[in-house]
Amino acid sequence: MESKMKESNPILEVENLSASTDNLPILKGVSLTVYPGEIHAIMGRNGCGKSTLSKIIAGHPSYNITNGDIKFLGENINSLEPEERAQSGIFLGFQYPIEIPGVSNLEFLRVSTNARRKFLNKEELDTFDFEELVKEKLEIVKMDHAFLSRSVNQGFSGGEKKRNEILQMALLEPKIAILDETDSGLDIDALRIVASGIKKISNTQTGIILITHYQRLLDEIEPNFVHVMSDGQIIKTGGSDLALELERKGYEWTDNFIKET
Amino acid sequence: MEIVEKIKAYKSIDNQSEIQKICLDKLQLSPLPNPKSEQWRLSNKSKFSNFLDYSVNEKDLNFDAPFPNTSQSIIRLVIGDNFPINLIEENYSITQLSEDKLVKYIKGQISCFDHNENWSDLLNLSLNCSKNTLGLKISGSKIPPIEIFSNASSNSLNAKTLIIFLEKNCEIDLLQVNLGKDNSSLSQSTFLCLEENSSLNHGVVSYGENKSNLLNSLNVIQQKNSEYNLGSLHFKFNYARFEIRIKQSEGNAKTNIKGMQITKKDEQISTYTKIDFDGPNGFLDQINKSLADDKSHAIFEGSIIVPKIAQKTDASQLSRNLLLSNFAQIDTKPQLEIIADDVKCKHGATISQLNEEELFYMRTRGITLTEASKLQLSSYFQEIISFIPVSKDRWDLLDKLLNEN
Repeated sequence: MESKMKESNPILEVENLSASTDNLPILKGVSLTVYPGEIHAIMGRNGCGKSTLSKIIAGHPSYNITNGDIKFLGENINSLEPEERAQSGIFLGFQYPIEIPGVSNLEFLRVSTNARRKFLNKEELDTFDFEELVKEKLEIVKMDHAFLSRSVNQGFSGGEKKRNEILQMALLEPKIAILDETDSGLDIDALRIVASGIKKISNTQTGIILITHYQRLLDEIEPNFVHVMSDGQIIKTGGSDLALELERKGYEWTDNFIKET
Repeated sequence: MEIVEKIKAYKSIDNQSEIQKICLDKLQLSPLPNPKSEQWRLSNKSKFSNFLDYSVNEKDLNFDAPFPNTSQSIIRLVIGDNFPINLIEENYSITQLSEDKLVKYIKGQISCFDHNENWSDLLNLSLNCSKNTLGLKISGSKIPPIEIFSNASSNSLNAKTLIIFLEKNCEIDLLQVNLGKDNSSLSQSTFLCLEENSSLNHGVVSYGENKSNLLNSLNVIQQKNSEYNLGSLHFKFNYARFEIRIKQSEGNAKTNIKGMQITKKDEQISTYTKIDFDGPNGFLDQINKSLADDKSHAIFEGSIIVPKIAQKTDASQLSRNLLLSNFAQIDTKPQLEIIADDVKCKHGATISQLNEEELFYMRTRGITLTEASKLQLSSYFQEIISFIPVSKDRWDLLDKLLNEN
């Protein structure tokens, strides 16, 4: 499938990536290229390696890359620390955002934003300037200012945690955002808020990878490509109609592709 | 030279006070604590011996407080200053205890001493002279917060004693600061008596410099309906022991303790607590945190004694520990000794490392590993620091803990 965006250079290139944890192979040769302005969806059964792929791109220290490369804006990032990847513009939205008791959400967001701004050679923001910026971004996800004074994600509902992830994405202005099951645990209204937030933040210069099980997120955000993963590999790639077909036929349908592979 | 001879060499028998004579006689029988006893078995012998190595010194060189007391509303006292204290205001009074009352009180305390359990107090009172003893009687209301300093001079073994009687219905905030200079040993013993309906928010902040040592003993008696809140922090000592003994003498009293010790390099810091409920309806909520890094050693031993008379006691003791290095060591032993049958008591201990998933989450937001660790630690510290009363912000405790080696 050709993309109209391919006139520019890719943001992310995952080339024949294999990875393991505790000597257990998880990814077995994944390849994926994301160009500016593209939205990719990755679907697949539980345990097929979707979340692992997202964590490896973000630099999780528990996984070893045993083969292949991850290139971001043309540079190999296999050996970069997670914070270096984040500062340069890779964002991972967590399936289960971590609670950090005792660390104020506002301070956490400010330190994160300034780390990214420093990388971009932008002036770091003091508390007052940051308050102004965050106020504007809160609108995108319709979050109350009171969330900022609480500890990071502590006591947040599932929906609030996911909105907090999108708030972070809005503040960090990444080049590529990998959103791991951002739709899980959301009611219809919260899903719309989150989806609308993602659409507002994304533009022709950014790439998005949505990891999801359900069509309902893809109804809100139409992907350019849909990839189906199974047993650590991408077994089929198609357009948005592939997700609809999956919704109708279920993952059993994809077992035939594995046989073909 | 043994410690008893050292004290006697410093001070002839004619110059010894009555208390010193009594304590020296007791020490003479058994000069050192039994290293096999529960209270001392984990104590590092060479570090303990180093504590006793310095020359006995009753005089302080000029003491420079870490920052000037700019607040009119805080009373600042230095043990050993010999500055007469006689504050009698409309709502409250803070007066010095007479020598006779001090001697009588201390003699009463000594008669109940157990050699191993109270060895630190025996040493303190053997070393000490009246000049380095501060005895206060506090009464009334709307009392300004009080800061009390103890310090040890370089190359010296100094002893300081503090005795406070808090009279009925009295409420105060008290911050006790123990400072150790380079190559010094400080013996600090504190005796607090809280009368009926009194309330004390007590902070104990102790920190040293290079190769400083501390034996810090705290004895509290709570009468009925009194409330005692203790927030403590010990760090930067080559060797330090913090011994807490609290007795709710009639029950019906409330005790809250939040303490923390931080060890780095090859330091050893320990906390021993013994809480005695001598009456019904007592309450205790205690949390002790240790953080050990490098090759250091942190110890917590706590015991809660609930005899038959102490029915309806509600006590909780939790030890939470962070081990930051593969070479550091943490020993922790919270214990309950319950005879009464109608009580609610619980205890527990956890030892963990910095949470890897929290660190990864922060790192995926561009925060470096060092900064992420600091953010995690600051939240770990804040629970204790926020419990310390009186001018804690001016002390920059969080900054000291996170940024000083």
